[in-house]
Amino acid sequence: MKTDFKKIAKDGLITSNPTLKLVLGTCPTLALTTMASNGIGMGLAVTFVLICSNVMISLLKRTIPKEVRIPAFVLIIATFVTIVRLVMDKFLPDLYDSLGLYLPLIVVNCIILARAESFASKNGVIASAADGLFMGLGFTVALTLMGAVREILGNGTVFGFKLWDFSIGFFAGSAGAFFTYAVFIAVFSLISYNAEKSKKLKNLPELKEAE
Amino acid sequence: MRSLFKNVWFKCITALLLIAAVSGGLLSVLNDVLFVSAEERTDRAIVKIYGELKQYDVEYDAAQDGAETIDYGYGRIDKVFTVDNGADYLFKTTGYRGYKEGTITLWVRVSVNGGVYSIEKVVLESYEKQTLMSKLGGEYYGKFRLSDVTAEYKAGRLFSATDEDKNYNAVSGATFSATAGNNAVNCVLKYLSDKETANED
Repeated sequence: MKTDFKKIAKDGLITSNPTLKLVLGTCPTLALTTMASNGIGMGLAVTFVLICSNVMISLLKRTIPKEVRIPAFVLIIATFVTIVRLVMDKFLPDLYDSLGLYLPLIVVNCIILARAESFASKNGVIASAADGLFMGLGFTVALTLMGAVREILGNGTVFGFKLWDFSIGFFAGSAGAFFTYAVFIAVFSLISYNAEKSKKLKNLPELKEAE
Repeated sequence: MRSLFKNVWFKCITALLLIAAVSGGLLSVLNDVLFVSAEERTDRAIVKIYGELKQYDVEYDAAQDGAETIDYGYGRIDKVFTVDNGADYLFKTTGYRGYKEGTITLWVRVSVNGGVYSIEKVVLESYEKQTLMSKLGGEYYGKFRLSDVTAEYKAGRLFSATDEDKNYNAVSGATFSATAGNNAVNCVLKYLSDKETANED
């Protein structure tokens, strides 16, 4: 079966964006988006785990009995999360400290388990790797954008660089996280709704002609 | 015997055990390769505090065999280093009574100038049970800067949770987190005061 990379990419980044469309992985999204750099760090960590666990689960999909597939998936995911933790502690200690508890919590991140169950356990290795990559990128982009907006408004900085002295403390706190997330989801839904609508309108004459 | 190999539960247990064994093996190898030693962590702290790696000697290390525990009830001293041939002291200290009985471990730099100890810089090392403790920035740690540590200690002015600390509740979860930080620095004050008293005697 031929892998439709275009569809996988579109699903991960837009149609089934894990953060803004499926509303998965909400806990790190709300807690870690105080800075854009945290968003990138967390996003890349999740992307690595997604790719590796998807590949491994796809390879072992016929070996793992279906009765124990969830514990087996969690074991595989936990292994890759531990590898990410060890690498980050060694080479990126500041980011490791900044992500704190949310790094080991990637093990129970819904995005990873959902992709393992719904995609990797049913598809080939290359398609699963691509799915992991684009789902991870969708998550990373959403977290980084949210982090940048909250950092600019709540701290007056972006990626740690000072822009101005003006800041609104609300955006740095928990309530600001919920508010920013809601605005992002609303804007994303509005854009995708309008894009779908204009696509339908564009295809309408062709449909009429076909009839 | 053949039926055992075809048994679903046998297959399930074998699959899980195999995955666990392979994962365990891989992680134990990687743990050896990527292990961050106590010396490496100390070097990192020194670079974080001084901006460059400095020469240091160990004055006290609680992890060393036979070392006496320095525990004041509200916190403990983990390590004491003398940096730049005694021009500075660097403490690794842990404060208790944080959020949900959590702890905070800090690095405290104390300079020695004509027998007067001054706290120059306080940096977070690690924390337990206080998930967002790392969000507290220089503003919080800046309050610990003191020009004469022992005089303040003798006057009874130890650090305690202030109204300002309550501003950090939104990100740290509770006032107690600030208390653990205060306790960690108070341990340094107590240590230096005891040291001076011992010298006077």
